[in-house]
This record gives sequence, C-alpha cells and structure tokens, in this order.
Amino acid sequence: MEINGQLALTVLMGVFLVAVAAWLTRVENWRSYTPLASGGGAYGQESGHAHEKPGGLIRWFTTVDHKDIGMLYGLYGVIAFLVGGAMVMIMRVELADPGMTLISNTFYNSLLTSHGITMLFLFGTPIIAAFSNYFIPLVIGADDMAFPRINAIAFWLLPPAALLIWAGFLIPTGDIIPAQTAWTMYTPLSAGVGNGNQANAGVDLMLLGLHLSGVSATMGSINFIATIFTERAEEVTWANLDIFSWTILTQSGLILFAFPLLGSAMVMLLADRNFGTVFFAGEGGAILWQHLFWFFGHPEVYILVLPPMGIVSYVLPRFSGRRLFGFKFVVYSTLAIGVLSFGVWAHHMFATGIDPRLRASFMAVSMAIAIPSAVKTFNWITTMWNGRIRLTTPMLFCIGFVSNFIIGGVTGVFLASIPIDLVLHDTYYVVGHFHYIVMGAIAFAGFAGLYYWYPIFTGRMYQRKLGKWHFWLWMVGTNITFFAMILLGYGGMPRRYATYLPQFITLHQIATLGALLLLVGGFIWLYNFIISWLEGPVIESGDPWNLKEDGLYTAEWEWFDRKLQTKITDGGEQQDVATDGGHESDESDS
Amino acid sequence: MAAKIFDKETILDLTVNIIPLGIIGFFVVVFAVYDPFGYDPLASAISFGLLLVPLVALAALTYISGKAIAGDEKRSEVFLAGQATVPGSQTLEEYEAQAEPDHEPAELTDDESAEDAETEPTAQNTDD
Ligand code: HEM
Ligand SMILES: [Cu+2]
Repeated sequence: MEINGQLALTVLMGVFLVAVAAWLTRVENWRSYTPLASGGGAYGQESGHAHEKPGGLIRWFTTVDHKDIGMLYGLYGVIAFLVGGAMVMIMRVELADPGMTLISNTFYNSLLTSHGITMLFLFGTPIIAAFSNYFIPLVIGADDMAFPRINAIAFWLLPPAALLIWAGFLIPTGDIIPAQTAWTMYTPLSAGVGNGNQANAGVDLMLLGLHLSGVSATMGSINFIATIFTERAEEVTWANLDIFSWTILTQSGLILFAFPLLGSAMVMLLADRNFGTVFFAGEGGAILWQHLFWFFGHPEVYILVLPPMGIVSYVLPRFSGRRLFGFKFVVYSTLAIGVLSFGVWAHHMFATGIDPRLRASFMAVSMAIAIPSAVKTFNWITTMWNGRIRLTTPMLFCIGFVSNFIIGGVTGVFLASIPIDLVLHDTYYVVGHFHYIVMGAIAFAGFAGLYYWYPIFTGRMYQRKLGKWHFWLWMVGTNITFFAMILLGYGGMPRRYATYLPQFITLHQIATLGALLLLVGGFIWLYNFIISWLEGPVIESGDPWNLKEDGLYTAEWEWFDRKLQTKITDGGEQQDVATDGGHESDESDS
Repeated sequence: MAAKIFDKETILDLTVNIIPLGIIGFFVVVFAVYDPFGYDPLASAISFGLLLVPLVALAALTYISGKAIAGDEKRSEVFLAGQATVPGSQTLEEYEAQAEPDHEPAELTDDESAEDAETEPTAQNTDD
C-alpha cells in the first residue's frame, strides 16, 4: 500500500514535469512577444480543432490572449461540471432507496464532499471567469487584461488544483482516500482527530488543492480589478460601465478579501493535522473554524451569484426589446451586496449556541442584505413587463434564473430568521434553498451565457430545438428535485446522510427522478453544443440576435462583426496585425 | 462639487442602498432601546459593532460610488451599458427621447403580434 501510494505520486509528479518541459520548449516563443500581443500562434479561437494546425496544442498551453484563456476556463468549468454531475448522480441513485445499497456510506460521504467542492470551486468560479476573461476586455474596450501572463498563470494553477482535490479518487490506495469532511471542512473531523479515517493524506491533498484554487482566484481578481480600473477605453466612464463588469468588479473585491482568509485558515488546519499545532483543538477551536470558514463562506456564495446576476442583467433586456430597467439600482445594489455580505456570516452558525446578542445582529444584517437582492429581482421583472419578449434559449434560461432565484431567495430569508433556522438548520430545507440558487440560478445564468455568446466563440449557431428541450428539462427537473428537498426538510430529513428513515422514501424518489431529468437535459446540451460546433450553420452577421433593431447592440458583437469582416476580406489564416487581443483572429475550420 | 453631484436624481438612485442602511439603523435603535438579552460589555459591544461596521462601510461605498458614477454622468456622454465603444450608438438621452413619447401606444399594439412572431425564428438563426 505504502509503495503503491508513492508510486502513484511519482507518476503524477512525472506527468507534471513533462508538462512543464513541454511548456518550456516554447520559452523562446514567449520571450519574443510583448505581453499585449496575443498568445503564440494564436490564430483563430476555436478549440477542439487544434490538430488541424501544427503546434496547435502548444498554442493552448502558451497563450496569454484573454479570449483563449476564457475558452480554457470554459472548457475547464464544463469538465468539472460533468465530473461533479456524475458524482451527484451516483448519490441520487443511492438515495432512491432508504438503505445502504449501491455504495458504502463512507463512499457516499466522499462523493458528497467532492461534489460540493467541485461544483463551487472548479465549476462555479471558472465558468464565471470564462465569461469575464473573454468578454470584459471586449466590452470595456481594453486591449487585453492588465496582466496577461498572470492571467495565464491563474488559469494553469487550476488543473493541478483539481488533481489534488480529486486525488483521493485518482490514487486508489488505503492511505490516500477522498476527503469526507463536506465542503465546510468542520473541525474536529477535518483536523483528523479521533478514530475516524480523516487523518489520511487524501484530506491534506484536498486542502492543498483548494488552497491552490484560492490562489488562482485571487490572482484573477487582482487582474480584473486592475483591468477595470485602468484599461477601460476613454468613452467607458464609470457611468458607462456595463453591468456584467460591475458585478465582476464587485466579485473581485469579495475574492480579494475572502479567499486569502480561507487560505490562512486552511494553512492553520494543515498545521494542526501535520505539525501538531492546536489552533482548532482546544476549547472554542471548533467554533473558531466555523467563524473563519463562514467569514469566507458567505462572501463566497455572493462571489458565485453576483456575476451570474450580471449576465442576466446584461442578456435579459436584449430579448425584452428594451434596456435594463433601473440600471443604476442594479449597480448600487450590487455594491451593497458586496459590502453587506461580509456582515452576515454567522447566520450559518445560529444553532451553535453563540451569544444571542451576536446572533440578533447577524439576523438584522441578513435581513438587510435581502433588500438589494429583491430590488434586482423587481428590476428584471419590470424590464420584461410589457416588453417585446423573445423566448430564445438564452432568454428562457434568464427567466428560469429569475424564477428560481425568487424561490431560493425567499427560502433564504426564512432561514435568516433565528427561530425558523433553529428548526430547519441541517435539514434538506437548507440543501433545497441553496440549490435553488446554485443550480437554479447560477448554473442557469451560466448556460444562458453559453447559449447567448455561442455564436461568438464558435462562429456557429446551436440547434434551437435542442436548446429548448434542454431548458425545459432543466427547469422542470430543478424544481422537482429541489422542491422535494424543501419538503423533505420540513419533514425533518437531516442533510448529509446516505441512508434515511422509510417515511422519506417518496420524496427522495421524486428528487432522484428530477435529477434524472437534469441528466437527460445535460446530455442534450452536450450533444447540441458539440454537434453544432462541428456542423452548425455558420454565422455570417455580427448581429445574430437582431439587437440593432432595438438599439441594444453591444461592444462584443461589434467586435465579432469586425472579425467576420476581416475574415471575408482576407480570407483566413494569416494575420499580421496580431498586436492586441481585440482585433485579430479569424475563424478556424471554415 | 458634492452638492451638485448629489442632486435629487442621484439621491433617488441611491435609495436602493439607503433602505438597507435604514433597516440596519432600525435594528441599532431597537437593540439599544429594547435590549432583550441584557447588557454585557463584550457581547454588546461586538453586537453593535456588527451592525455599525457594515452600516458605515456601506454608507462610505455608496457615497464613493455615487460620486464616481454621477460625476461621470455629468462630465461626459452617457450611453446604454456596453455600447459606449460601439460606433454610431445612441446616447442614453437619444434613446430615452425616442423610447418615451410613443412608449405606451407602440407597446400596447406591438405586444401581441410581437409575442407570436418572436417565439418563432426571428430571434435565433435569422441568418442561417
Ligand atoms: C436572499 C439572501 C439570502 C439569505 C438571507 C440566505 C440565508 C441563508 C441562511 C440563513 C443559511 C443557513 C442555513 C442553515 O445552515 O441553517 C443559508 C445557507 C446557504 N445559502 Fe443562503 N441565503 C441567501 C442567499 C444565498 C445565495 C445568493 C446563495 C448562493 C449563491 C446562497 C447559498 C447558500 C449556501 C451554499 C448555504 C449552505 C451552506 C452550507 O451549510 O453548506 N444563499 N442561506
Ligand atoms: Cu450565508
């Protein structure tokens, strides 16, 4: 066993070194262009066709072009989504039956932990970074990100982070097993004390991986703050900054204050585990971890939800035939959420027996933070009200976002009320609440963005009908799955268990059924995106959504239009004006 | 300077943030007057700190961002979000001037016909 583990680690290290070596062979190349130039050999922006160009793969390893990096983030996020989705499907099937049937309880706990961490840190943050990297420089009229190479480094920290987080699954030995701490990593369990199996190195690797992903997010956030402050085109004043950039700016501020704290807390935890320190061991140690974790953890949920709100605020008006209602309300309320999200963390700790005076204060601020969220919801609804609505797939996902966000938000406000939380804490109600937001809202907005900008990043159009199938399967599936969870919570079903009392069987089976709908919808989406990328109708105008008609045509489409024009005039491959991230690139595989 | 930037219009825009400030302020007063859990130097201090710190931080950020945004509105041309760099796009003023007058009638008549037209092709693959 011992030997096996070391062998596996050696192989892992070897693969890593080979990758580094491959990258270094390009070293001359990356010396020869300035940071503002786009990535070495970065002609065209299609992924997946790299084999058509010699050296194509190397291009993806060396690129510093914000659009290429956006594509890499997107690919990464999608892969993580598929992995996290597969994990939860196994869990949901196990839960179709009250006993321990398909998998062991410990394996269930491993999947639970990895599902949560994968979805939040390896899907959520990266898929947002995909959009922000690709589009923010285009929309604010910047040549590229302020620090293109830091941008590339931030991305390339993520694959090793994923390997570390999944190491317990990837290295099948007795002493490296997957973490079973849940994403909250509460001590003393995560400190590895007692007779459990959480002292194993798999947990340490997971913590290191999570730390690495935090470093990546922090580097990215600094880059976005610098870019939005200093690289805007002259016309893009603060009054002209688009809503998506505002949400990314706010998100970056949150990351800057939240992630380093998580990093420090995890270093303390690692020290407790490996070097005999006692940060979280003594009296109050467990509550200390919870304070540190949730001071990061609550801002984290807004780190994940603000940019999707930005995407919806950006896309939804374009299919309502009018501008966003109360644009500045949305901007200011985004900023308000940013500040207040640091003042509510202990609403996750109401049931721990902290001082009632403190609890009351956290409740008050939690009530206050619901206002800006509600304001946004009213703005979206008012934008659509009497508008000329076009129910395209991205629009459907935006409407789904609003609908699901309302349910997620209202259940959240209930949880923020101490007496209610004392009843519902640690039940499936909480799971239902936050999944309405993370799946029903964040993922929906992500997919709205993927559909809306699909013509830009692939040059083609997806199949409309499959898009609608995807949406409806997901809308129905999400509501079946997570509403059943809310009811389960009312019934007293505790969260984080692989088995349950027979009285909960019906609702659990309903939830599993809903999850299967989500799975089918996901397959349809994957098929649609791949097949359309390969053979969908080629986009010929820079305005595939007819935005000009309503005077809602924006900068990234205008850039796309220019790109299409260039392609027509010089017909393809060779580009010599590759001096910025904004104007070069042709269509590939055409 | 500040007096000019924070005119009625801007204050109105800022109400979204003034409401949460009001809610927090309300609880500060309630906890000070009603004091349901008794007084304890440490716990009471922290509990008021937990209200006052976000209150002050939010007020400060609202002021700074209001100044930046409303200031830029006054200093230079305003466009719809994401359109400032698009050649030939209308300014916000032009957009409003065009949208508002025929607002009601146009919308009402357009509406139904638009609905069934729009759920159909126009939207997506218009150009394939
Ligand atoms: C309307 C504002 C919101 C309020 C008032 C609110 C309130 C709460 C409360 C009080 C809890 C703790 C429940 C418990 O453990 O007993 C909770 C849990 C949670 N909320 Fe929210 N929430 C809101 C919005 C959001 C948003 C926008 C997200 C995600 C982006 C989110 C994600 C979560 C998550 C992930 C948890 C569970 C954490 C865990 O224990 O693993 N919430 N929420
Ligand atoms: Cu929270």
